[in-house]
Amino acid sequence: MAPPTYDDDDFVDQYDDYEEEDEMSPEDKVAMQKGTAEVQKALGTEASKVTVAQIQEALWHYYYDVDKSVAYLTKTFIAPAPKAAPKAAPKKAPEGKTGAFPLPAKQALFLRTFEANRESPEHDAYSTNLYGIPSHTRMFPIMEKPRISPTFFDDMPWLDIPKDREAVFIEPPRPVGGLLGGSSSAPKMSKLQALAALRKKKAEEKKDQERVVPPEDEVSKLSLSDSRNKENTSLGSKLRGGNVQRDSTTGPGPLVQKGEVPSGAVSNSIGGHTGSSTIVESETGVYAKPEEELVISHSHAPSAFARTLFGSALEADQTQRPNVFAMPYTQSSSFLANAFSEPSPDDIVLAAQAKAGKKTPAAPKAAKKSQKNEEAAKESGLASSVSSLKVNDGPPPNSKGLDVIKEFEQNASKRNASFVVVGHVDAGKSTLMGRLLLELKLVEERTVDKYRRQGEKIGKQSFALAWVMDQRSEERDRGVTIDIATNHFETESTKFTILDAPGHRDFVPNMIAGASQADFAILVIDANTGAYEKGLKGQTREHVLLLRSLGVQQLIVAVNKLDMVGWSQDRFKEISEEVSGFLTGLGFQEKHVTFIPISGLNGDNIVKRTEDAAGAWYTGPTLIQGLEASGPSTARALKKPFRMAISEIFRSQQGTTTLAGRIDSGTIQIGDTVLVQPSGESAYIKSIMLDTEAKDWAVAGQNVSVALTNIDPIHIKIGDIICHTTDPIAVGDTFTMKAMAFEHLMPMPVDLHRGRLHAAGQIQSIAATLDKATGEVIKKKPKVVQPGGVARILIKLEAKVPLEAGQRVVIRSEGETIAAGLLE
Amino acid sequence: MADRRRVNGPGSSTLPPVYDDGELDAALRRQRAPDAIRPLYLKTGVTPSASGSAYLEIEPREGEHGSGMKLTCTVHGPRSLPRSAPFSPYMVLSTHVKFAPFATKQRRGYLRDSSEKDLSTHLETALRGALIADRWPKSGVDVVVTIIEGESTRQDAVERRVEEWDVMNVLGGCITVASAAIADAGIDCVDTVSGGVAALVASKDGKDASIVLDPVALEHESILAACCVAYLPNRDEVTNLWFKGQLPSPASCNHQSLVSRAVQASRGTHGLISASLSEAIGSTQN
Repeated sequence: MAPPTYDDDDFVDQYDDYEEEDEMSPEDKVAMQKGTAEVQKALGTEASKVTVAQIQEALWHYYYDVDKSVAYLTKTFIAPAPKAAPKAAPKKAPEGKTGAFPLPAKQALFLRTFEANRESPEHDAYSTNLYGIPSHTRMFPIMEKPRISPTFFDDMPWLDIPKDREAVFIEPPRPVGGLLGGSSSAPKMSKLQALAALRKKKAEEKKDQERVVPPEDEVSKLSLSDSRNKENTSLGSKLRGGNVQRDSTTGPGPLVQKGEVPSGAVSNSIGGHTGSSTIVESETGVYAKPEEELVISHSHAPSAFARTLFGSALEADQTQRPNVFAMPYTQSSSFLANAFSEPSPDDIVLAAQAKAGKKTPAAPKAAKKSQKNEEAAKESGLASSVSSLKVNDGPPPNSKGLDVIKEFEQNASKRNASFVVVGHVDAGKSTLMGRLLLELKLVEERTVDKYRRQGEKIGKQSFALAWVMDQRSEERDRGVTIDIATNHFETESTKFTILDAPGHRDFVPNMIAGASQADFAILVIDANTGAYEKGLKGQTREHVLLLRSLGVQQLIVAVNKLDMVGWSQDRFKEISEEVSGFLTGLGFQEKHVTFIPISGLNGDNIVKRTEDAAGAWYTGPTLIQGLEASGPSTARALKKPFRMAISEIFRSQQGTTTLAGRIDSGTIQIGDTVLVQPSGESAYIKSIMLDTEAKDWAVAGQNVSVALTNIDPIHIKIGDIICHTTDPIAVGDTFTMKAMAFEHLMPMPVDLHRGRLHAAGQIQSIAATLDKATGEVIKKKPKVVQPGGVARILIKLEAKVPLEAGQRVVIRSEGETIAAGLLE
Repeated sequence: MADRRRVNGPGSSTLPPVYDDGELDAALRRQRAPDAIRPLYLKTGVTPSASGSAYLEIEPREGEHGSGMKLTCTVHGPRSLPRSAPFSPYMVLSTHVKFAPFATKQRRGYLRDSSEKDLSTHLETALRGALIADRWPKSGVDVVVTIIEGESTRQDAVERRVEEWDVMNVLGGCITVASAAIADAGIDCVDTVSGGVAALVASKDGKDASIVLDPVALEHESILAACCVAYLPNRDEVTNLWFKGQLPSPASCNHQSLVSRAVQASRGTHGLISASLSEAIGSTQN
């Protein structure tokens, strides 16, 4: 801990000498004169070769040591060695005692090491200390007050500063490396810093050897530049300048250090430059001692408090502390001293993974391999191949690899059928469905009673049953269905899915969505006088058109509200005949159309036959019987590629997204990889829900909920199509279709609807009008297609949509259905 | 209002009465020479988490139980100013001086009181003159001085109402310890600033006025005036000066003399800072 160059005696010497020099400067002068004479005597004949100033300077250097001074002068001036001598002589000085110079430690500490024409770094550091003596010790004429005089800059030009006036700015060294201050350990030098320092040192040494400057010149320069550059001293450089002088903790005894006061300096600083003399006088009057008195400052040993605080730090420096303890387990024969000198297997694996940049299931295997044969080339090859792998976040769900069609055939479960309920607004569609569910005990009477009470409050008592289906507050407020309501019920033979479509003309797109998911339909007709006629012109007609164009072939016509007309058989017959004629005109087959007189509100002829005597004339099937008689009108497209239109999206946690929709064609099972079009993102099927039960597979015609993993929900929209990656649906924006016009068709902006999917676009051109029955071309490039005509038209859409040939689409414009057709 | 979330000790305690017979006990009188300052213990690098730190302790009088002043200082920075702070081309210096609640006989509050704020301002002025602030633009440095044990720990200090003079000594200590801590932090300074105190003391009736360095208020019958300077010895500059009290009307002494004596005291302190810093370097180099 203690600097090796120091001992107590040095200090005593220092202060003895110092006092002598400071207070008895006449004696000093005497000593100097005496010394000069002695040196001259010792030099003898060669005394003429050196000046008195040189002798005095040498004496000053060696503190009146005549022998040393003579040796120095002889070496330097009388018989100089070729080059090394001037360097060697000053080098001696720093090795000598610092205390031998009349320089207080505190001053020495803050003198800067700098000089443009330095001879050697060591000399430089030292001589600066030497000549930085305060001005009051006017020993030599070369000493200047180490302060810039007020007139210093007076004759200084702005530009072209003479060389001798130039100061050299040396950047104060910053603390090397490490963090700032604080810790007791020295800042660590980085390898690069050490290298740079070494190079710099070498370069300087080389430079120094090249030039030899007479010491006298050097002396004058030193003092001048000292005063200039004092501003630039930084504490860091001062402290690291190697001026370590003493260590107070080495001995318990108080270490006396004597400060010194420059004469006149104090009074100057206080009283300014004018009138300082008077102050000095008055001061001397007050004190018994003059200005040059010494302030004695002791350093005392730390108190018990401080020792407790810093005790551990002091102990840490003790050298006798053993660095290594003998641990008992080292005696064991199985102990390997260097067991942990190499990276552990885990570290190797982690390093390989980090190299690959990504975590992959393949990485551990790769790392293991690389551990076995540590060929760098192979490792890098593996790493690159690992990084090139496509990364999937979650493992795909295991596919059971079922033959779905076989399973479906073996599974003699109930058949599935979905039907859409259509009709004019307020025909009683929702009420009929509510009654159906109530009769089948799928909805409790209590619930309906509750709705009834709620309805009474707002004067809509009759809507209670409809509210079973219409759950949304907006629908209840307005009293109309807005979106398709889906519900399930099952009879002994069949599982039915109800799709309650809105009747209002504003929501026809929703009705299209419902109808496209249906196997057959119930057309509800209001038998009331006026209402029926209105419906036939309105949405009854449009819905039937849409059903037909969407490929629904089976139809149950429920003539509703017959209780309002007293179960009039004539009225029923009239409606039946009229509607039947209309339907056959549109291409419905008579055997696929059933007429049933019902009362949705009361529940007559729905599950049970009417108890009203006036309605006893009807002997045909009830509605539920009619439903059971109807089935999927077309064979299920099981063997076709898998297609499913998304009608609803539920976001659930943990990266799964649940989609609801009807499988248009094909089959799926858990674990299949599917593609969502038009975004083109792939996903895995995690689970399949049919109605409310989980299934391993699903086939065309079923309304299912499918949970997908490994897909971001932002890629999925309602109306998108899911398909297998092996047989994806094409995405396009230009389609040719055979369309049947309901209104005048001409090149115009249209909306294309298919299920939930709808896209804006326009009719680009009309290729030809066709014969309705044979399909032959009647006229090429017609300007307009008349209502009821069939034409081949080209549609260009604004966005790409997943559509393929053979699909039925509806074309609407300005809120009305203007055409329906088949994509070609 | 005391802080009710903490368990507070009693605000004061009852002590047997001490009768002031008007004369100071001989043992209590100043035994040092008038130009001697008390021995100090200064150590740097005491707080590892701070950029720079120092601990200063003034030797207690013999026979007394731990009544020397104890100060600790931590320097944090230079560190970048918060985003919200306006641009500053210089280093922003902020100083905090805080008495520990138990530092003085009269317990101190947890919040800074006016005397502590006063000390902070003085310390800031003292340090600002020494720092080369334009080397660190857009940065700030916090200097926190905690007085672990003040001068007025003894009951009689409270009774004799001499704490006001002890503030001078506290400021001198603050300047010295902060200077050492800044040096430990490696922040560029033109010089190490050191604090020194001188006071004009007199006997009870106001006669025999003389100037002493590093005064301890208890040791003197009365203190007429005191002066605390922050002094840069190598530049011979005073960065902060605090003069307190009234000089007697005759020109027996003037302000300049008191200030110059204070400067002398700070020179003495400066030697200790240098020695302590050299020691710190010596220990790191060994």
